[in-house]
Amino acid sequence: SSDEHKLNFKKSKEACLNYIQDAMLQKQWKRAAEFLTFYAESLEKDYSREHIGPSEMIWRIGTEILCHHSHSSMKEFSCFIEQMKTLGVKRYLKVCLEHVFHLLCNGQIDEAYQSLSLAESWRFGEQTAIQDKEMKLIQAYRGLLDYYSWSKQKNILLEHGLDGFADLSVEQEMHSCFRKAAMNLKEIIKIPGVWDLFVKCYVDLLEFYGDHNEAHQVLNEYAYNSRFPANPNAHVYLYQFLKRQGKSKKSLISALKILHDIVPSHELMIDFNTMLQKSKKRKKRRLGLEVIFAALDYAGSKENVKAWSCLARQVKQIVISEKHLDWIKQEWNSRKDWWPAFHFSRYLAKRNWQENKSLSYEKALVAGILLGKDCKYFKYVSHQGCKAQVKRFRMLKKFVNRHSPVYLRISG
Amino acid sequence: MEFPAALFPAYFGAGPPREEDGFAPAAGWGEHGQVLEGDPGPGRRQAQPAFVPRRGGTGEIWNPAEAAAVPVLPPSAGCWIPSPAPQDILYRNSRCRKLRVGKSGATLDFAKQLGHFFVDHPEDAFGSMGRLLHKNFHLGNSKLTRPARSSTIRMTALMEDIDRLEARRGCHRQHLASRLRWFSHLCRDWLFEVPLGLLADCLHEELMLQWSNLLFDDSLTGGALAWLPPRDTGSRTGCLVHPGGQAMNHLFFQDMVLEELPRAQGSPARFELSGRIQQVAAARVDGKDFVGVRSDYHCGVWRVPGRTGAAPTPLQVIRTDVPASCLTISPHLPGELAVCTQSGTIYLWNVETGLQKLRHDPQTMFFRDHSPWRWSDFTAHPRVLSCADRTGLQCLDARAPKKCHFDLFKVGEEAGCQQGERVVLPMYLGRAHPSQYLVTTQFSVYVLDERLPLVPMLKWAHMMKAPPLFAHLMPGDSRRSHKLVLGTSRTQELLLMQYWGERWRGSQSACQLAGTPQKLHSIAGCLQHLPTQLPHRQHLLQQRLGAPAAGLAAALQEDGTCNSMLVFQLSEAGDVFCQRLTHEAACAPAPTSRDEATTAPGSSPLFEPPASSPLCSGTAALRYRRWLRALSRGYREAPQNIWPPSLSQRRLFTRKELEGPTGPSALQRQVRQWLRQVMQEGSRIQHWEPLALQPVALPQPPEPAGGQDPLSTRLTAAWSGDWEQWWEDRTSFSLVQRQRALRERRRRQKRARARQSLSASFTSSLTYQSELSELSDAGPLLLSPGRPPIPSQEGSSPPGSPPAGSPPASPAPDEALLSSQSLRSRGIPKERRKTLRDYLSVWAEGPPDLPDLPGSQASQLCIPSSQSQLSSASQTRRKRPRMGF
Repeated sequence: SSDEHKLNFKKSKEACLNYIQDAMLQKQWKRAAEFLTFYAESLEKDYSREHIGPSEMIWRIGTEILCHHSHSSMKEFSCFIEQMKTLGVKRYLKVCLEHVFHLLCNGQIDEAYQSLSLAESWRFGEQTAIQDKEMKLIQAYRGLLDYYSWSKQKNILLEHGLDGFADLSVEQEMHSCFRKAAMNLKEIIKIPGVWDLFVKCYVDLLEFYGDHNEAHQVLNEYAYNSRFPANPNAHVYLYQFLKRQGKSKKSLISALKILHDIVPSHELMIDFNTMLQKSKKRKKRRLGLEVIFAALDYAGSKENVKAWSCLARQVKQIVISEKHLDWIKQEWNSRKDWWPAFHFSRYLAKRNWQENKSLSYEKALVAGILLGKDCKYFKYVSHQGCKAQVKRFRMLKKFVNRHSPVYLRISG
Repeated sequence: MEFPAALFPAYFGAGPPREEDGFAPAAGWGEHGQVLEGDPGPGRRQAQPAFVPRRGGTGEIWNPAEAAAVPVLPPSAGCWIPSPAPQDILYRNSRCRKLRVGKSGATLDFAKQLGHFFVDHPEDAFGSMGRLLHKNFHLGNSKLTRPARSSTIRMTALMEDIDRLEARRGCHRQHLASRLRWFSHLCRDWLFEVPLGLLADCLHEELMLQWSNLLFDDSLTGGALAWLPPRDTGSRTGCLVHPGGQAMNHLFFQDMVLEELPRAQGSPARFELSGRIQQVAAARVDGKDFVGVRSDYHCGVWRVPGRTGAAPTPLQVIRTDVPASCLTISPHLPGELAVCTQSGTIYLWNVETGLQKLRHDPQTMFFRDHSPWRWSDFTAHPRVLSCADRTGLQCLDARAPKKCHFDLFKVGEEAGCQQGERVVLPMYLGRAHPSQYLVTTQFSVYVLDERLPLVPMLKWAHMMKAPPLFAHLMPGDSRRSHKLVLGTSRTQELLLMQYWGERWRGSQSACQLAGTPQKLHSIAGCLQHLPTQLPHRQHLLQQRLGAPAAGLAAALQEDGTCNSMLVFQLSEAGDVFCQRLTHEAACAPAPTSRDEATTAPGSSPLFEPPASSPLCSGTAALRYRRWLRALSRGYREAPQNIWPPSLSQRRLFTRKELEGPTGPSALQRQVRQWLRQVMQEGSRIQHWEPLALQPVALPQPPEPAGGQDPLSTRLTAAWSGDWEQWWEDRTSFSLVQRQRALRERRRRQKRARARQSLSASFTSSLTYQSELSELSDAGPLLLSPGRPPIPSQEGSSPPGSPPAGSPPASPAPDEALLSSQSLRSRGIPKERRKTLRDYLSVWAEGPPDLPDLPGSQASQLCIPSSQSQLSSASQTRRKRPRMGF
């Protein structure tokens, strides 16, 4: 009966697919390709109602095989993709986009641009939400390529400009590239998403043409719009823009403060701390201490010498001035039950001493103040330092010994 | 920590997952995902931008060194008891299978399991009723004597029917067991004392649980195998921590030397625990290894000191009221662990300060899901823990768990999830990058960065047939990719995938998937390479090797120029297998891919002759031989588990059939006598007397004795002239013979008829009895289809007096037993009296009489009669209201 026939056909189709998968997962591309030729038959009797039908599978598997097969060429690949584009209307844009990615990764920028333009002009009935997104991405990538050609022409122009020679046609072309790029890039960055690449390029364009307000607005939107994910890069871009614009310390600090709230372990926190330490305001210096303590909470900055030296410097300052010891005390309170094991164990003292002397110096200073001179870390490092007759370690020992009452005040 | 300067473009949406998707077999292939501008190189921009794809970049090439995984440890002593298989609890019936085609739902064999209860716990099920009735039931073969007959019935035939039923399983003519059905009809509502509804509810619940466990058993999440790498860079001795023993309740710390194949060194440190080990977790903090062990109600932690050979020290054990579902060890602080229980509680467990409850929420986080599974792991911040359920992950600060938390991963549009997708295993990838996190679902793997929550840095459809419950990370560095091995339980799949992380010490870039994923050997895969075994041993081996995987560990071994990777896999049977992969760039200069070796499109390693596989390399083959020998020895030592195939005769033949003739026949006696005589004389028997056989050879005209065949006798007679005389002799002889034979036959027929009528009248007496028990219900008499109608006078014979010709076995005493007064006096409630009466009246009928008939006759005669009995009972009962009306 036809039902049975369908069932058998389905079974053999599945078996064939299993063979293909098996071969691919063992990197036997040639074998997989042979099986795929059999699998192509499943297109003729496509009874399936699964969302990934045989045609999509052939596209996916075929692409993968052609990417890895030893005898495949770019031409064959493009030929295959062209066939795949005609196989399913719903998938047309996705196949185009993936093809463009493949071309871009292989350095065929011009072909990719052509393919993008072609895909952009494609129309078929009403677009689904996904197709709409794919179309937007296609436009955005075209905008990106336009930006690259703009920047290429800009470089040419700048070089020639230095020579005192200006080409009007190059300049015109550059402006038309700018218009095309700006239009497409502007569209995509309105939609919530991660658009680091597109935002950077768009801001670069705007800055070149002196539209700083628009650039600032775009970056603000990208960083602070709540519909967008909390992308640390958005804040970094904003901070860098503000810095480039020579904006006031206050605005820089407020930008970094928000970054600190999102990602306390970010590498910019060291800059932030230095900036705050220099501040005249007590509140800011207090924030600085908080920032550097928080940064050192994370496993990733455990061996960050810069961060440790920032902390050591600020702690030393406070100890010497004997003002605001309560700041240290407050910060230390929430950490004293786990920092000793996390940062100042004997094992780490040994390892830090072996691997990085300056790290162990900074850490020993902090340990000596926070945990007193009997702390394992400090004892080990200062002992080793004195043994190795390094001057600064002797100074360190003296300093900690002199300020040992501080420890009592902090821990008490 | 540096954050990548630019991330791959991605849309971000909030809300529930999209509807359209489902499991797709090839979803992980052929996509680049997105592209990003690569490093422009030092100095100024290049003329053309270089792009890198999110997926499809180049990765390292690792080639398997052997054709199959090789056992690393001898098989655990004692037999392994396999966990229930689908066929144990599913209903298997052709009709049912037809129904199920197209539907995904399975039918649980509820009836069989309930039956098992009655067989396994007869004392609970039938205890008191059995005691009540045991005087009245006779199970022996002997006939009942008269006084006993009054109150006792024989159950032997019923027992035989039950036995036969076993033997007849799968037979189409199951209606033959109608006697049993009848019995169950009669007594199913009073024979056992267990409240059936309650029992059925409990059983059903348990069956559902077992079935869902079979579909997906999350108690193994995380895996029960851990590898403690060598301490110093030069050392090659690591430690394998694995469970073992019959109930998997022994914890072993086995030192292993990494050679071409890892080799066990010395005897393992061994701890006996009070529960099955579900998970073994390990982490190295400050140069010390901490090993956490989770069983259902206990969690324990061990410390393995730095030097090799030193015994591990148990530190602490906690007991939970609800099964624990997760145990992870802090990679930051020594002696700190995270524990979750199925009640939705998360604890931070410090060996020194004890347990700190961080959260208690029986509800899932983002949407409602029934699974009580919870998981927790550590993050880049030692005080911040992640907590997960099937719907997503949150991070919470242990210092203020109620106030400070954020969502790390949500099953929803944020991560582009599919409908029905659920979190299976979250894992902190701190050794690769301090802020990265792995989340596996049944469809995809995600790499997350806790600095940009909700948006996956990497997403890839893994296409594995079962959800990956185990994962092992082998961190790379700025030059080497991070390697991740994913493992499933039931299908034993192992998948090696590589990714380039955000390189936090070198130049940073966004996460990319490197190379294509690679399938590694599973334990069961070695079966095809093993020498052919005897069928039953092959079956055992198949079962043993096909046991679900229970854990996964891996080690990278750098050995001068040659890099190799060792992947260990643990099975539920306690076997640990290992496979080695070699890094191609470093080890093998010939870049020929394996692909070229295979030729025909139909060929797969499955069909390759084992001789061509590199498994026959000495060490591996030797390992296998040893392992197989130890395994078979283990099975031989415990023979109680393999029953020798036996066939019960009682199921094939009735007792009567099996009973031989009562004594030696006359012929046998005669022959014996001859033999004895001949032996005494020391002579020979020339030929057996053919005449002695004559009663057997009835139909043939017997030949006169004389040592000559009839032809030669006749010829001799003809030759001598008295041929006529010969003919005379012969006919007269045969006439006598024939007459005798005829007489004999008639006698037999007579006897048979007598018996037949006897049984017929007996049945009718039974109908009369049931009639009697119905008292006023004198329904029409039953006509059984297979027999001539019963004479009407039988029906009209007065109650109390048995019809003529009925045997004395017709139970007059039963009447007393069945009378309402006697039943009442025995304390049997009114509503049960009739059932009991029915039952007893039926079973008073004679299984003792039936076996007298040949089997075929019995089935024709007595069984339809019992059916008709049944129908009569229902008939009369149905009629009652009409009569009263």
